Amino acid sequence: MNERIKKLTDVTLSGEMYPRKIAVEYDREDLFLSPVTMSAKRVCEYILAQEPMLREECAMTGHLIFDGTVEGDIFGRKGHLAFQQAKKAFYKSPLHNLVTLEWQHSTANFEEVLKDGISGIRRRINASKQFHAEDGEAIEFLGALSDFCDALIGWAHKCSHKAYALAQSTGTQKYRQNLLLLSESLKKVPEHPAESFYEAVLTVYLCFSFVPDSIGLADRYLYSYYQKDIQNGTLTKDMAKEYLQELFLMLQSHTSKKSPNFYRGGESHFAIGGYLPNGEDGFNELSRLMVEALMDLPTYIPQISLRWTKKTPSEVFRFMMDCERKDPNKRIAFVNDEPKIKAFTEYLGMPYEDAVNYTMVGCNEVAFPGGIYMGSAQENIVRSLARTLHERGDDLLSCSTFDDFYRIYEKELFADLGEILDYEDKFNLLRARDVNIVSSIFFKGCVERGKSVTQGGATVACSGIDLIGIPNVIDSLAVIKQFVYDEQLLSMRELLEALRDNWEGHEDLLTLIQKKGNFFGNDNEPSNEVARRFTGSLYHYLNDKRSMFGHKYLVGNLIGYHEHHKWFGEKTPATPDGRRSGEPFKFGLGQSGGHDREGLSALLNSVAKCDPHHILNGPTVTNVTIDAQLVVNDEHFEKTVKLFETYLQNGGIHFQLTYVSKEDLLRAQEDPDSYKHLRVRVSGFSDYFVLLNQALQDDVIARTTQTR
Amino acid sequence: MKATIFDIERNSYVDGPGIRTTVFFKGCNLRCVWCHNPESQSPKPQMMFYKNKCTGCGKCKERCPNNLEKCGLCGKCTLYCPHDAREICGKEYTVDEVIREILKDKAFYDNSDGGVTFSGGECMLQIDFLEEILKECKKNGIHTAVDTAGYVQFEYFERILRFTDLFLYDIKCFDSEKHKQYTGVGNESILENLKRLLTTKKSVWIRIPIIPMVNDTEEELQKIKSFLEACQSPKKIELLPYHAMGEHKYEAIGKEVQMFAVPSEEKMMRLKKIFS
Ligand code: SF4
Ligand code: SF4
Repeated sequence: MNERIKKLTDVTLSGEMYPRKIAVEYDREDLFLSPVTMSAKRVCEYILAQEPMLREECAMTGHLIFDGTVEGDIFGRKGHLAFQQAKKAFYKSPLHNLVTLEWQHSTANFEEVLKDGISGIRRRINASKQFHAEDGEAIEFLGALSDFCDALIGWAHKCSHKAYALAQSTGTQKYRQNLLLLSESLKKVPEHPAESFYEAVLTVYLCFSFVPDSIGLADRYLYSYYQKDIQNGTLTKDMAKEYLQELFLMLQSHTSKKSPNFYRGGESHFAIGGYLPNGEDGFNELSRLMVEALMDLPTYIPQISLRWTKKTPSEVFRFMMDCERKDPNKRIAFVNDEPKIKAFTEYLGMPYEDAVNYTMVGCNEVAFPGGIYMGSAQENIVRSLARTLHERGDDLLSCSTFDDFYRIYEKELFADLGEILDYEDKFNLLRARDVNIVSSIFFKGCVERGKSVTQGGATVACSGIDLIGIPNVIDSLAVIKQFVYDEQLLSMRELLEALRDNWEGHEDLLTLIQKKGNFFGNDNEPSNEVARRFTGSLYHYLNDKRSMFGHKYLVGNLIGYHEHHKWFGEKTPATPDGRRSGEPFKFGLGQSGGHDREGLSALLNSVAKCDPHHILNGPTVTNVTIDAQLVVNDEHFEKTVKLFETYLQNGGIHFQLTYVSKEDLLRAQEDPDSYKHLRVRVSGFSDYFVLLNQALQDDVIARTTQTR
Repeated sequence: MKATIFDIERNSYVDGPGIRTTVFFKGCNLRCVWCHNPESQSPKPQMMFYKNKCTGCGKCKERCPNNLEKCGLCGKCTLYCPHDAREICGKEYTVDEVIREILKDKAFYDNSDGGVTFSGGECMLQIDFLEEILKECKKNGIHTAVDTAGYVQFEYFERILRFTDLFLYDIKCFDSEKHKQYTGVGNESILENLKRLLTTKKSVWIRIPIIPMVNDTEEELQKIKSFLEACQSPKKIELLPYHAMGEHKYEAIGKEVQMFAVPSEEKMMRLKKIFS
């Protein structure tokens, strides 16, 4: 890392690069305007009133933060009044012990901005105005977008002036050159197409503030600029790395140091590699450079996922695993293109050329360029099973086979899924009450449809539901099948009594189940089969359902930064997997609590085999805690690389690794001060262990440390 | 045909190249005093009782058909002990059952140049089964390794040679008297078998457990080295430091344990240099 980047890193990590928000006094007579016009007017005033964050070490600028007085970007959603109200009511507050409201994720269509510039978008707005000439609402919205484009360009020019002024006062020759180039460049981009690698990165840097989520597939859309400049000699690898580092530092400084999210990689996440539209693997020289650039920085944000394909060279996968094991801040994760692309093409019905363009975003959601991932709320998937067992006892007693039982359960499951989808649409309606102007020009379809991204403007969209407690459901079903029907070790009546009594007085039975249960993650066929049957039910129910915007639902299983597994667990009675009433659920696709006894290959096989319909390709996480020796010792590390590569070849969707021993984690809970630096991977993101809430800490501890 | 096996361990990194499944046969004809798997020595299934885990709750007695007085190894107590204090070590398996377990991780072997390792105990003591299962593995295209202490007739080696890709061969110490003192048997036939095995050009990895006060001197290892140099050289020589992880298992099967110091890392480094 060179001196300049080192200085910028220091001020980034001290929180000084977080843009100051300049308050604006709006004209109160704005209130007489229509909501769209007022929103646009104020947004533009706000943007133009901000002060560019610029230091003499900077080679880029244009980063800003919305303060909540106007309808800001779609990610932060500050100033989105309807959303804020909904958030207060339903975010982190489960409704009927079933559903919650969640953030949504997206990535801008950066490629288009680079190619056409804002001026190109403006041309499209004008064309759309002609098309929608009769539609007053669309015309008003498109007018607002035009004003926003003007403000954005105005902002770039303001940044340019400031860079010029600072260049005059700086004493360092190199910095002066950087600032002058910056000033010159901002007269051109983002208004006009970028022509060099530097201009392209600068465009992303400046536009990020308006969709501040994921930078998307940067190793693709920046690659042609990189190649061209390297070839014509105007760019060196070192320069490219510096620019990327400056971009990454901006991503880190988009979150205030006062927020615990400053330390969480989920605030900005993107993917590299993966299939290209021509079916080849896309990991290129720039992908590698991006990882190297990030590894040099002692930051927490962004995090990178490698999109693995069957064509990813083993050397590339090993390189990424090596970075992963050496990265103290745990910013690397892995996702598998094979099941993902299948899900997008076969299940969602997307054309292959579009499907291959997904990126990872947030903790572990997916988004397409210029597309939005709606919903992804956390839902209680154990409730329907608990209701079957605790309320439909009479029906269950007359079941003579597991199939009979499953039919009754499946009806309850479908009823809950139906209720979940109804609420999803209600939440979508709440979101649609805000007009989003700031981000809409960066989404595919909004300009052409003359509609905001929150109101059905985006043409590239998908929806998701995160089902919490999937391992509990699979294990409970497997236990019922094994104990009540296959091996007949107990009757349904005995099981129902034990559940009703919350296992009290039935401790022997509980012990027997814990010991003999066919739990998920041990690669035994009975449990794998139950898992497939369950994911098959999800598929069959969801396959013909659509959200109000017309998209199909993908299923995930993460909880983000929160404690849904605890909240739902608290209100759910005992379940046959040995869980007592009130105990937390498990999330993710994996196993914990010592139920996985057969080692890593068995766990990974179970996970890879459980979803033949590829329904679990929303935000799915598989957390694996392994003994540090499996990666520290070089000989073992090579085998661990092969282990996970095979898992991906077998169809595993995702994995993220933690190497800390259970003992260390317990000690860290007792004595947080001594363990301040302990980092773990949580729910698609990494964080300092001691900063996690109690229920997340407990979940990490409950994971089985695999020693082989 | 059945074999008594006390563990099938998947995803093993330490019993040969790549990712492996290790099948531990029960029964051994040596009695190494440092053995970390003392439960592998007897050829029969046996009860293991971990006194330190037992809370005296009495659940085992409630379930035992014999009131815990005479054990018929029915296993009921192990299922109901809430604290994992009782465990039956050793179970009979058919070739089919074992091969089914092995095949589960075939993809991992294929991608890592791994395979299956038959270990023990002394797997060669159940030679008929071993021969069968090795054949089955080869039919399925799986790399095979046999981990042996070599104290068997050479004919046994000949029977499995064709189906075995690699031998992991233990040398405990060079002096036969000492060998007898610590393992119960002299090592003449062990060394002779090794010499013959090496002439077959099969891949052999030598494994030497380093036990302080027994064989942890440079002099001892030099002797082994000279012996090996006089033979066709083996592919690889691994020195495995003694560890005390088997201690609690001695108590569990009611045997006296003899403890040794754990060799230091520096010592291991020094001794490894002899062979490099
Ligand atoms: S059941 Fe287990 S803990 Fe209870 S007395 Fe028997 S061995 Fe001890
Ligand atoms: S295995 Fe059976 S016979 Fe032996 S002690 Fe346990 S319950 Fe009794």
